[in-house]
Amino acid sequence: MSQEVIAATNLVKHFTKRQSLVDRLRNKEVFNVPAIDGVNLELKKSETLGLVGESGCGKSTLGRILVGLYSASNGSIELNGKQVGQDRSLEERRIVQMVFQDPFSSLNPRMTVGEVLREALIFHNLATKENVEEKSKNLLTLVGLPHDALKSYPRQFSGGQRQRIGIARALALEPKILIADEVVSALDVSVQASVVNLLMDLKRDLGLTMLFISHNIAVVRQVSDRIAVMYLGRIVEIGPTEQVFNNPSHPYTKLLLSSVPKMTSGSQISTAPIGELQSIKSALVGCRFRSRCPVAIAACASVDPVLTSVEENHQAACLLVK
Amino acid sequence: MSTPLISVENLKVEIKTNRGLLQAIRGVSFDIHSGDSIGIVGESGSGKSITLKAVLGLLPSNAHVSSGKIFVAGRNIAQLEKKARRALLSETAGMIFQDAIAALNPVITVGNQIAEVPRYRLGQSASQSRQTALKLIEQVGISDAESRFDLYPHQLSGGLRQRIAIAIALSGSPKILFCDEPTTALDVTIQAQVLRLLLELRKNSGLGIVFVTHDLAVVNEICDEIKVMYAGRFVESGTVHSTFNNPTHPYTYSLLKAAPDPDASVHRLFSISGEAPNLTEPVVGCPFAPRCFTADANCLIAEPELLKIAHSESACYKSKDHDMWAASESKSGVK
Repeated sequence: MSQEVIAATNLVKHFTKRQSLVDRLRNKEVFNVPAIDGVNLELKKSETLGLVGESGCGKSTLGRILVGLYSASNGSIELNGKQVGQDRSLEERRIVQMVFQDPFSSLNPRMTVGEVLREALIFHNLATKENVEEKSKNLLTLVGLPHDALKSYPRQFSGGQRQRIGIARALALEPKILIADEVVSALDVSVQASVVNLLMDLKRDLGLTMLFISHNIAVVRQVSDRIAVMYLGRIVEIGPTEQVFNNPSHPYTKLLLSSVPKMTSGSQISTAPIGELQSIKSALVGCRFRSRCPVAIAACASVDPVLTSVEENHQAACLLVK
Repeated sequence: MSTPLISVENLKVEIKTNRGLLQAIRGVSFDIHSGDSIGIVGESGSGKSITLKAVLGLLPSNAHVSSGKIFVAGRNIAQLEKKARRALLSETAGMIFQDAIAALNPVITVGNQIAEVPRYRLGQSASQSRQTALKLIEQVGISDAESRFDLYPHQLSGGLRQRIAIAIALSGSPKILFCDEPTTALDVTIQAQVLRLLLELRKNSGLGIVFVTHDLAVVNEICDEIKVMYAGRFVESGTVHSTFNNPTHPYTYSLLKAAPDPDASVHRLFSISGEAPNLTEPVVGCPFAPRCFTADANCLIAEPELLKIAHSESACYKSKDHDMWAASESKSGVK
């Protein structure tokens, strides 16, 4: 039975732009940038959901809200069927963990790997002073690092190894859900493959549920069971990976897929025109993608499309989807 | 064959670091002819950006060319006066960088930055150089050039900034454009725009392109030739077509297999074990041997030279058996 382990309903997150004194004196209207604007998303047990989109579309913000690093402006999150509020219990925090993009800034440079792991294990009462070292060593084995790494500082490791340390830290808490935010973006192709394979193995062996956030569509295709495409704070298409790749239904998904450089010889990047977003404010009425959309119709300027079924389990938010 | 626009012979570059002297480039040679499009790929630290910077004399202060010759239009640039060298280089090659916002001056309007070379190097009047700049802005596919002329870099999006950087690089009418990962920081849709622009410039004005990147798919899209760099040397060189279909160096073979294919799902990526060697220590034997699936004791004795094999050049003792790699790589149990 596929069971939802985490579900977000109508999630909204606004970032308030700081106003200058002059603007405040002029009583200028405050404009809240909607980073996430009405997202509904469920992660089913043991699945990997790939989340793709351009920078600034809100995919990392969504990941951070699910972990609890940001609080949502509106909407609710359910963990294992139970609604979690702003103040998560220790247990609720423990079962959702995150691995970050930058393996250089996400580890404390003044703590050894052993201290990093010990802090997490002891704080969450998952180890005692006696068995903490053994537990830490097991974690290092799990992510393919030697045991003597415990006494080393993050700077002594390469990017790929640091990312493994980040994964070990997240796994130390025996989470059920792992949010992987651009985990391989900073790595070279040769190292990227081994980190992706490690995550896939761990996910399978530990039965983890994973949200894999990335702008690298080729990697997402390899790891995801389902894929969600975000544009300006909304999910515009979601469905099983192969269905989305073989039958992209939202014009933005089509644009995204045709823009990816290919490995096949003689291929040419798409020549379709790609508009650029002019202003966020004007995009908030009607379909957000319409100014860049090659097939937009008059109705797109006024009607805000909702996710509509394309085929089984596959939905797209476009007025032209029937 | 005509004289190459740029010819590099056995270039070596050293960088002073606090861990010692780093042999960043350990002997690379190549020619660039007009209209060439060459992709240089390799992982971080392999020396691909430093190669471009060394040719253009843009090395950071802790790096220097320790040996080798660079000829531009047949003239050895080391023997030229500073002024003559700059003039020769600027009419031959322009360069664009990964981070366009850092490459642009934040306090000068983008139009004036583009007009700078026409005005001060080509000796155009203020109004002439403005016209030249406007033409360049249009040439790089930016509409409404008049109003964009007076904007500052921070007022433009990432894609537009990189286009402005390209316009500046083109303002001296160079014959070759050096591109140092110009699309790495951009979204795929914007990357596609910039790549398309480069393809158009190549087609319409015969601009030569040297494109440094770690993304093999990008090279496949816009280059004819590829040079694969590893630990400060070229390990394979050939046409994109033959190299992608029939790699003759195990590193190229592994890179091509490790790159995730957006058109197919394999569920398990091929990975290269280990890491690139530390170049502050002398390289003994083939630098890739510790990570190679087909290396043997012989590979650890002396470093292989880049030699001609079939349609390409490869620096590997085992490149003759490259047809059998698929079998030996799966037998050796590489995951």
